Amino acid sequence: MSFVPGKPVTAVVQKIEIQKLRQGDNLILGFSIGGGIDQDPGQNPFSEDKSDKGIYVTRITPGGPAEVADLRVGDKIMQVNGWDMTVVTHDQARKKLTKKKEEVVRLLITRKSLEEAVKHSKGCHPRQ
Amino acid sequence: MEDYDVRSAASILASVKEQEERFEQLTRALEEERRNVTLQLERANLPPNPAVSQPLAWQQVVMQEQSPSNATSLAMMQEPQEVVEETVTIEEDPGTPTSHVSVVTSDDGTTRRTETKVTKMVKTVTTRTVRQVPLGPDGLPLPEGSSPLSSYTDSIDRRYMKNGGERFITPQATSTLTRAYNNSYNDSYCETPESQYIRHYGLHDGYADLTDNYGSLSRGVNFRPPRYPYMPNSYRPENSYTLPIRKDDYGHVAQPQVPMGSSTVDLNRSQPERFQPEPYGLEDDRRSLGPEEEEPYELEPDYSTASRRTLPGTNRGRTHREPLRDVHRVRGYPDDPIEAELIDERHPYIHGMYSAPLAQPERGSMASLDRMAGRRSPSIDSIRKDPRWRDPDLPEVIAMLGHPIDPVKSNAAAYLQHLCYENDKIKKDVRQLKGIPVLVGLLDHPKSEVHRKACGALRNISYGKDNENKVAIKNCDGIPALIRLLRKTNDMEVRELITGTLWNLSSYEPLKMVIINHGLQTMTNEVIIPHSGWEHEPNEDSKPRDAEWTTVFKNTSGCLRNVSSDGAEARRRLRECDGLVDALLHALQSAVGKKDMDNKSVENCVCIMRNLSYHVHKEVPGAERFQDPSALQAPGSAGPQRKKKDDAGCFGGKKAKEEWFNQGRKNGENDKNYDTLDLPKRTEPSKGFELLYQPEVVRLYLSLLTESQNYNTLEAAAGALQNLSAGQWTWSNYIRATVRKEKGLPILVELLRSDSDKVVRAVAIALRNLSIDRRNKDLIGSYAMRDLVSNLPSGQQRPAKNLEEDTVVAILNTIHEIVTDSSENARSLVQAQAIEKLVAINRTSQSARETKAASHVLQTVWSYKELRNALTKDGWNKSHFQPAVTATPKATKNGKPGYDDTTLPLMEKNQDGYSTIDQRDKECKYKADDGSADLTEREPLKNDTNRKHYIRSNRPAVSLVDACDVKPQPVDSWV
Repeated sequence: MSFVPGKPVTAVVQKIEIQKLRQGDNLILGFSIGGGIDQDPGQNPFSEDKSDKGIYVTRITPGGPAEVADLRVGDKIMQVNGWDMTVVTHDQARKKLTKKKEEVVRLLITRKSLEEAVKHSKGCHPRQ
Repeated sequence: MEDYDVRSAASILASVKEQEERFEQLTRALEEERRNVTLQLERANLPPNPAVSQPLAWQQVVMQEQSPSNATSLAMMQEPQEVVEETVTIEEDPGTPTSHVSVVTSDDGTTRRTETKVTKMVKTVTTRTVRQVPLGPDGLPLPEGSSPLSSYTDSIDRRYMKNGGERFITPQATSTLTRAYNNSYNDSYCETPESQYIRHYGLHDGYADLTDNYGSLSRGVNFRPPRYPYMPNSYRPENSYTLPIRKDDYGHVAQPQVPMGSSTVDLNRSQPERFQPEPYGLEDDRRSLGPEEEEPYELEPDYSTASRRTLPGTNRGRTHREPLRDVHRVRGYPDDPIEAELIDERHPYIHGMYSAPLAQPERGSMASLDRMAGRRSPSIDSIRKDPRWRDPDLPEVIAMLGHPIDPVKSNAAAYLQHLCYENDKIKKDVRQLKGIPVLVGLLDHPKSEVHRKACGALRNISYGKDNENKVAIKNCDGIPALIRLLRKTNDMEVRELITGTLWNLSSYEPLKMVIINHGLQTMTNEVIIPHSGWEHEPNEDSKPRDAEWTTVFKNTSGCLRNVSSDGAEARRRLRECDGLVDALLHALQSAVGKKDMDNKSVENCVCIMRNLSYHVHKEVPGAERFQDPSALQAPGSAGPQRKKKDDAGCFGGKKAKEEWFNQGRKNGENDKNYDTLDLPKRTEPSKGFELLYQPEVVRLYLSLLTESQNYNTLEAAAGALQNLSAGQWTWSNYIRATVRKEKGLPILVELLRSDSDKVVRAVAIALRNLSIDRRNKDLIGSYAMRDLVSNLPSGQQRPAKNLEEDTVVAILNTIHEIVTDSSENARSLVQAQAIEKLVAINRTSQSARETKAASHVLQTVWSYKELRNALTKDGWNKSHFQPAVTATPKATKNGKPGYDDTTLPLMEKNQDGYSTIDQRDKECKYKADDGSADLTEREPLKNDTNRKHYIRSNRPAVSLVDACDVKPQPVDSWV
């Protein structure tokens, strides 16, 4: 998913809903994120396009809420509860995910396998 | 005259293109003719009897004409008679600065937009078949009387056209030109005709050197064949590239001319005075190949119709032409807007032409006008040509790329290149018509002519903002194909085209890694190393070679400069590319040695070096071993840690006392450090990426900073020092100390007065990093403060330089750094009359970032209690040093300024985060798992330069200061 400023992003997305798990005072989702516009996209091992500064799932706690919801390492998070995650700082993304008053987060994510599945079914999928 | 010249060059270009194409087409027909010709030749040689040739084709006839004279003079005669082929290769100099446009977005300062505008190489081979008729072209009347034949008239007409319409080049002049071109451009354009000629006719003797060996040619005939293809008759509009030659037509033509032969010869000789070399002065005309072609084609009609000849010269021309035009229009050109436009433009020309065919001077002027008009569009020429002619449309040209005959391919590619020049629409059309994969396919064509022109077309197509074109080239594996060709070819021109194309491609971010993957080592081995003068194992006997600033080197370094900004992985690849860093350094040293530091190649090299220097302390293998142990201590320690200082600044005077002691300790430590500065022992000279951060490079950069007049080079050199002096590892300690010892600080301070915003900014940030070194901080505080302050705007009024916000913020941050932990420096600041400016910025600046940065400086100053007395005397009070109301609320409360505030531009927050204490604290918190957060903070300052870049495009570019990476380490947060 390369992203060209000023152009609409076309992506195959999947909705994933994660029920947060309460641990003491904290609500946890059970995964970690990397990326953000303030990060070096070149170091993101998951992105295909090394200029992609999106937010990516980097680790998943085994048995945690994210794994249960079928989130996977390497997924790119496009939205969190409707908030765009493609042009945010790392910390903004983190905050959106960790709002204390929200017990559920709904993610829109995209992953390569999704795109390919769609591509195959459609024959061709426009890509950047 | 100049007009004519200009015109003629332009027109030559234009006509050459088409002629080439047609020429190729004709080659087939030629084959048939060849047999006839050879027969004729035999006959002709023996007795030079013109009459013999009647049945022959036109070419044959010509030969006979010449035959009357003796063999040695043939050459002379021939040339004048027919204006032979003029091969004009007009190449816009690719190396001219104008042709290479590097658009550097000011923010990143990097090469994001560096593109090589490709010069359009217009190569035109104009073949003129001009028969010398008795008439002197410019009004030499004599010849006319001599030949009363019908053919005579015909020839007059031609001449007329030639002189007036074309460019007044007398035949001889033309011939001379021909030679010149052949000599200089043998490989490219002349080649076509010659080689073909040889191919088809097998006449090797004398043909190889057309120009020089004319005299030796046994027959004029030898010469003809190449021209032959251009004969008008042979071109049928319908089949534009497979041209059947009508023998009949030739026959007609030939006959009339025969009689003239002998008389013509003399005339020709007499004409040399008219020689006008100017037309060949390679006009500026970049666009139009078209106008030139007219001639050859105009001639055609004459030949084709015998009946015309009978008409009087003047009338004939008119009648003859106009119908053609009409035909032309009828043909559907009206549909084509360009054509329609052209037609209008043409009219003047037409009138002039017809009205006074013989009056050459006027004609000439008219003609020149015409050319001017023609220059606008290549297709205009077609109008003037044989009516049956038209320019191929784009799909046809693209189809021609696949034509079985190689010259057709190459001409089609060359024509495409021409069409694409500065025409984004056509580039796009070519892409949509799937022309790009075909062109890429031609890169592997064994014939240099073909792959050269294909490459030229790709270079033009790849230029421009339309990244789709670049992607299209990449998608059909154009990048590996270009690299393969680069490995294969030794033709400098082709290499320039290849590297120019790669440079263009490299301006698009997603292609950078592809270029690195396919071409990095090849570009290094094939271009960078050889042209840099660097040798793997220098021969001790020979003195080191200097770099050659060739176009190829410039293009390649530009490409590498672009790809070097593609993040950590790109940097790693370039650093580890065998010989690259060594060669770049050698080239730069050579530049310094020769005092030749202002050129683009040097700029590119320095930019690459700067980019590769970014984050060396974290990215190079084994960097951990050199980490400064003091930097790894806890924040509370006396180490020169960022966070520590920040705390001090952040909380005002609270810790001032403690800091004071810390400073003392630090001073001691640092002194010891630097006095005993022992470079790590090494048994062998450093090489490869190690060279990036050896203290030796400091002298190189300082030389560049001292000598270069090129702002980009200055900025990059300062950026390199900035990068090298950032971070906490042994080498950056050495670098900081070395800059001081090499007397680099005054050089940098001097550059604070630069007129260039970018230079000031880079220097300011470099000074900030350098001031990590305690002694540097003291020196900078003492000697640079006034220059720093003078760059600040006073209140609403910007200083004369009108620096950008980024620059002002950078300077404020540098000042903040310098006054932090140093009441002496704070005192210098006060003495430099800075408080007034700072307060003004704090209160009135339109920029939140400037306000914030100024506010931090003011807070820090106020934290020095020993200064308050003096400040109060000057009329300041505490309120002046407090953050402006609007800027502060959150920041003052808890050190976590409005990070949540989503209304602020994202990047601004980031910026502030790096530049302000509060943010930094916050940063550290968030980076809980990133132990090195503290260490890395200095570099982020560079992000100032990138801020706009981010906002605008959200693209990562390491631009100027390789600030590309906002945060050194990838952050990973559990949620």
